[in-house]
Amino acid sequence: MTGTGAAVLLALCPLLLAGGFLLGRRTAHPVGRSDVGTPVERATFETLHTASLAAPPLRAGLTEDTARKAAGRLRTLLGTDALCLTNRSVVLAWDGTGDQHGDPVMDRLTTLLDTGRGAAFDCSCGDLDCPRRWGVAAPIVVDHRVLGALVAYAPRESAVLARATEEVARWVSVQLELAELDRSRTRVIEAEIKALRAQISPHFVFNSLAAIASFVRTDPERARELLLEFADFTRYSFRTHGDFTTLADELHSIDQYLALVRARFGERLAVTLQVAPEVLPVALPFLCLQPLVENAVKHGLEGAVTRSRITIRAEDAGAEALVVIEDDGVGMEPERLRRILRGEGGPTAGIGLSNVDERLRTVFGDAYGLVIETGSGAGMKITVRIPKYRAGVHSSPSSHQDG
Amino acid sequence: MHRLPGHPTQSEIDEQTTLGAAYVRSLMRSQLRAGLTAFGFLALTVVTLPLFFDALGNASVVWIVLGFACYPVLVGIAWWYVHRAERNERDFARLVHGVHGPERPPGRPAEGD
Amino acid sequence: MPQSYAITAVAVVVLATVLIGGFGLRISRTTSDFYVASRTVGPRLNAAAISGEYLSAASFLGIAGLLLLHGPDMLWYPVGYTAGYLVLLVFVAAPLRRSGAYTLPDFAEGRLESRQVRLLVSMLVVGVGWLYLTPQLQGAGLTLEILTGAPRWLGGTLVAVVVVVSVAAGGMRSITFVQAFQYWLKLTALLVPALFLVLAWQGDGSPGPEFDEPARFREQRTVRIQDTVDMKLGAPLTVRADGVVDDRRYEDATVSLDEGTHRIAGGTRLTFPEGGEVPRREPGSADSVSQPLATSRADHPLYATYGLIVATFLGTMGLPHVVVRFYTSPNGRAARRTTVVVLGLIGAFYLLPPLYGALGRMYAPELTLSQQADAAVLLMPERLVSGAGGDLLGALIAGGAFAAFLSTASGLTMAVAGVLSQDVLPSRGVRHFRLATALAMVVPLAGALLVTGVPVADAVGMAFAVSASSFCPLLVLGIWWRGLTPPGALAGLLLGGGSALVAVTLTVTGLAGDGWLHTLLAWPAVWSVPVGFLAMVLGSLATRSSVPPHTSATMTRLHLPESLSVQETAAAAESGDGASAAPAPAAERRVR
Repeated sequence: MTGTGAAVLLALCPLLLAGGFLLGRRTAHPVGRSDVGTPVERATFETLHTASLAAPPLRAGLTEDTARKAAGRLRTLLGTDALCLTNRSVVLAWDGTGDQHGDPVMDRLTTLLDTGRGAAFDCSCGDLDCPRRWGVAAPIVVDHRVLGALVAYAPRESAVLARATEEVARWVSVQLELAELDRSRTRVIEAEIKALRAQISPHFVFNSLAAIASFVRTDPERARELLLEFADFTRYSFRTHGDFTTLADELHSIDQYLALVRARFGERLAVTLQVAPEVLPVALPFLCLQPLVENAVKHGLEGAVTRSRITIRAEDAGAEALVVIEDDGVGMEPERLRRILRGEGGPTAGIGLSNVDERLRTVFGDAYGLVIETGSGAGMKITVRIPKYRAGVHSSPSSHQDG
Repeated sequence: MHRLPGHPTQSEIDEQTTLGAAYVRSLMRSQLRAGLTAFGFLALTVVTLPLFFDALGNASVVWIVLGFACYPVLVGIAWWYVHRAERNERDFARLVHGVHGPERPPGRPAEGD
Repeated sequence: MPQSYAITAVAVVVLATVLIGGFGLRISRTTSDFYVASRTVGPRLNAAAISGEYLSAASFLGIAGLLLLHGPDMLWYPVGYTAGYLVLLVFVAAPLRRSGAYTLPDFAEGRLESRQVRLLVSMLVVGVGWLYLTPQLQGAGLTLEILTGAPRWLGGTLVAVVVVVSVAAGGMRSITFVQAFQYWLKLTALLVPALFLVLAWQGDGSPGPEFDEPARFREQRTVRIQDTVDMKLGAPLTVRADGVVDDRRYEDATVSLDEGTHRIAGGTRLTFPEGGEVPRREPGSADSVSQPLATSRADHPLYATYGLIVATFLGTMGLPHVVVRFYTSPNGRAARRTTVVVLGLIGAFYLLPPLYGALGRMYAPELTLSQQADAAVLLMPERLVSGAGGDLLGALIAGGAFAAFLSTASGLTMAVAGVLSQDVLPSRGVRHFRLATALAMVVPLAGALLVTGVPVADAVGMAFAVSASSFCPLLVLGIWWRGLTPPGALAGLLLGGGSALVAVTLTVTGLAGDGWLHTLLAWPAVWSVPVGFLAMVLGSLATRSSVPPHTSATMTRLHLPESLSVQETAAAAESGDGASAAPAPAAERRVR
């Protein structure tokens, strides 16, 4: 028995050792070992501090201005006499002793900019003490693209400097990458705001509220209902989660939209809906039908003195769902429509159409763009095809749950 | 980033952490157990019945059992399974959300069927 | 039966199908009742639709015919058709719905993230669909021939044309309502005559049911043999013959036949005495809906029974027209409940065919000799209820039978055409779907017209066998096992489904030989299902490194109840901290 126990213990030993080692690594902390810090630690702090000073300019991107601000800090970080930052075409900033005096830096960097691999070169300066006799260049790479280079100079060849330059260039790259991220995040937010503005036009909000207000005295019950519809519609339009929704939810939101429109136009607008229940669970990009209906309403009522009719059909077509939105309004010149779909229609023309077209193509492929049949004075018929299944497109109904 | 206040377990599942995967696995296990129980009962009966009929050699029994008696049994097993599976899902929801159950978004009440 | 009644009934069914499909849901709705229009399909309606699509001619006519010919062992067919839904329920229903897949290839691609698996599954789906469509068309031809004397090819062509035109022209706009209507039509078409038949049977003095083998004639009966048959007697029998028996001509003379096989020439009239044993027809030029692989069944009945059980129990979940129906359910929970209702509806329906089978053994046992066993259901009212009443009931059944052909054929055509247009035909568009519809129907129609010598009901069984050995492993392992890899799935589909398909093809083309080999090939499910599972598991274990990267996320989606799904909770959270929040993590992940 003891033999077995010993064997087990023996087997456990390496495990315990490894565990202890890991635990030690985890808990080990430089703070507290020495009250004032070792020289290495002090050097580390200093480096970190310098780096932190160089970071803010770089976070604004790589321009002449930011490069000039950062170059000094980076030179301190590297401890060299001269240093320069370039983009893909010109030297952005020069820092340190001596002037550039015609050194063909950019010529030396052509291979680096092409391949993204570091380079070292001799400046063939006659003066033995020249602080720029030897140079080492490291690429600044953001998102797999070479944005520029960091070049450090020294009086003589130095492997340490080469390595340090490489590391600093990498650090610069990271900072620039973060800058890129900041910018794209801003772009996303801007796009979102733009999208939200496109989703609900201020006119619509104003007109709806005015229409509701007109009912407050004459028909308070109707006003209350419309207000609820309005609240529901805006909640759906402003929802921020998920890119995909179900056809059922989208149609429901359209219904609310139409209720509000009808409150304004009354009998002038007649709407017919034919919905095959089989296609209701189909997943599709969020808010891609509502702009089409809005477009139909606009065209239908534009200039029409009598009644206008809008037909919305959702049909089952095997592996696809077919949504057809039709109006008998003023229609549109095909050429003008083509321009709008290319995004050249100007600010007033239906942003909705080209936006929806683009989103559908992005999600489902080019075969699934909008099909629009129209002519001047001939009404407009928009057909949307939605595949019932597409990898990566998932949605579960949120308001039509059975709970 | 937007954590879900009050429901940390839910966010573990949503973000597919290892902990979340463990939760989902436990749900799968309980559902699979219910399924296997129902299937096992069915399989055992079905595997033995032909042998039983063969040994019995009485055609009227075969007619009565296969023609009429087995359908209520099948529906019964199905009903039991659905009951069990939905209970598993409710228990799981309770496990994830605590006793109060999931929060519902306000809005149209009573939309379901 | 007067032909006009039957023709009218068939015409009414076709017309009603087209009308409900085309116009039933075209009642214009105004926005005020939009909420009703945008409601998803409830479990009961959907279940009726699934049942309507599922109950094919093999169920409506075939089962009673099989019972008449081969006795109570054939009751395993309806039991298997029903129990298949139980297996589907416990392993597949809810996760399949939650996967969001519309077809099986969709599921394969979503779960295994592999185009190759998708393509292979697509091909198998088309194969199974065609295998299942062929007997529907053949059955339609047979039924129309029995009802009106029309040539054999007419019925199948008629069904094919009606289905293609209505599907391709968008006539099946609200297919759920059409199929639900078909279920109730089929149930009524069997139930109402059954009530009258039972009353007539009681009026006849409720003779004890003839459950014993072999069946016996309850009264003296004269049978006209249409085509030459070999009939087998279990005991010596004396009959009156007018025609050629065993190559000897008799002119209304009494003949004593020994135990064994006798050849009766076409056009011969035989009069059997009361209490005489009903002879069995020897398999030969078998071409009726309910003619199973009689040799192999006779050789190894127990094995054949198990083969049948495995195929039907596990094959249902992979039938293309069954899978697409689950997409209509709003969520996984509804899919589950739908399946239970389907079980109830199908179970209720399957109580009736055995009744017809039992009555047929009492009142029309000679049908076994006249190659019209499938007509048992159609001919029963005439036998038991005299006069116009019997004719009307017969017409009702004829209408129901045609509803069976139409609904199953259109469901299958839709499903096969969907797969063809998505994965086989190059370009997409509405017109291509029409092309796909035609293509989906042409091949089985050609099969039905060309391969007439194939035992038809078995083609259905074979479709089940192929489905059980390929799709069942894919679905069950895909849903419950994280370790499934694309190469493993390919191996399982190829070895399981492929071997079953080869076995089926060999049997159909008559290359299977005889004896045990033939039996094994004719009822492949017993060995091909384990082969499929084993290949899938071993293949996956051997290629462990290629587990799809999003397996964990997919599994979560398949099994997490909708009440806990990401959107729902994100909405709950959003209501708490306003609409200005950054996109939820879930939303970002969904883009992928």
